[in-house]
Amino acid sequence: MIAVPPGESWKRRESGPVVRPYAVTGGRTEPADGKVLDLIAVVVATKGDGSGGESSRRSPEHRKIVELAHQPTTVADIASGTRLPVGVVRVLLADLIMLGAVKVVRQRPARDVPSDDLLREILNGLRAL
Amino acid sequence: MDSGRSSQPHSLDPHKLLIAGGFAVGKTTMVAAISEVRPLLTEAPMTAASVGHDDLRDVPAKTTTTVALDYGRITLGPDVVLYLFGVPGQERFWFMWDELAYGALGAVVLADVRRLDDCFPSVNYFVTRGLPFIVALNCFEGAPRYEPDEVRDALDLDPGVPVVLCDARELGSVKHVLITLVEHVAARRAQVVAAHAGVAPATAITRR
Repeated sequence: MIAVPPGESWKRRESGPVVRPYAVTGGRTEPADGKVLDLIAVVVATKGDGSGGESSRRSPEHRKIVELAHQPTTVADIASGTRLPVGVVRVLLADLIMLGAVKVVRQRPARDVPSDDLLREILNGLRAL
Repeated sequence: MDSGRSSQPHSLDPHKLLIAGGFAVGKTTMVAAISEVRPLLTEAPMTAASVGHDDLRDVPAKTTTTVALDYGRITLGPDVVLYLFGVPGQERFWFMWDELAYGALGAVVLADVRRLDDCFPSVNYFVTRGLPFIVALNCFEGAPRYEPDEVRDALDLDPGVPVVLCDARELGSVKHVLITLVEHVAARRAQVVAAHAGVAPATAITRR
C-alpha cells in the first residue's frame, strides 16, 4: 500500500492518471486502422452514431468521445476533454471510425503555404481580441 | 467545447502556432494570457514520429511516462480556431517536435535574456525545418535589458527574423507577439509566392 494524503498528491497533473493509460484500449497501442490522426485533425460523430448493435462493444471512453465529437472537434480537444493521453485517444478514435460512429473531416493541416485570405482573417481576429 | 455555437452546425478550420523555449521561460503563462489553457497528455512512444519506426510490441514495458503539454485555443472567426501549443524545449521532448511542427503556421521562441542558451535548440530546429518563427524576449523583472538587435546577434539570427520584447503575462503584449508572428508568416509567404512568380514581393497584407 502506498500512503497518499487525501487530495493533493494525485491532483498534480505530473502524477498522471490512476489507471494505466492503455488499460482502456485493452493494451492496444496502435490505431486499428493504422492511421495516426494529427493533433488538430477534425473529427465528427456521424448522425447514426454507427450504433447498429455495435454499441455494446464500446467502452465508456468510446461513448465519451462520441459525445465530445457531436460537433466537429479536434483530436487535441478530445484528448483534453477525456483527460486521456493523445495516443490512447487515437486508438479509441480508430475503433469508432471503423465502426462508422465517427468520421474524419480533415486529417492533416495543409502543408502548403497558407492563403492570404486565411492569414488576413487570423490577423484581423487577433487584432480584435 | 464550442457550446456558444452549438445550435447551428458549423465546420471547424483549426490552425496551430507553437510557443517554444526553454524550461520555465513563461510558455504556459503566455498561452494562459491569451486563451484558456488546457493540459494535453501525451506519451513518448505513441507520437506520429515514432509510429512506424519503433517496434511498438514492447511499448507497454518501455515506458509509462505521461507528459503533459499545454495548449490553448482562440476562436477568431466563425470557423477559424487558432491552437497554441507549448513546446517543451528540453532535448528529452524532441520526440514531440515533428508532430507539433507539422502543418504549423509558425512559432514563437520565447527567451529569457539571462538564459539565452536555452532557446538555441528551438531556434536551430525552426531554422532547419524552414518554419517561420520570431523570438520574443520575456522581460522578467530584475533581468538586464538588451536591445533586440543585440539578441539577434547573440542568437545569430537572420536579419529578417523579428525579435520583440514582451511580457508573457499581459494579453496586449502577447497579442502583439502573435500579430508580429503572423505578419512575419505573411511576409514569408509573399516572398515564397514572389519567388515562384519571379516578381518582387508586394507589401501585401502586413501593413494596414
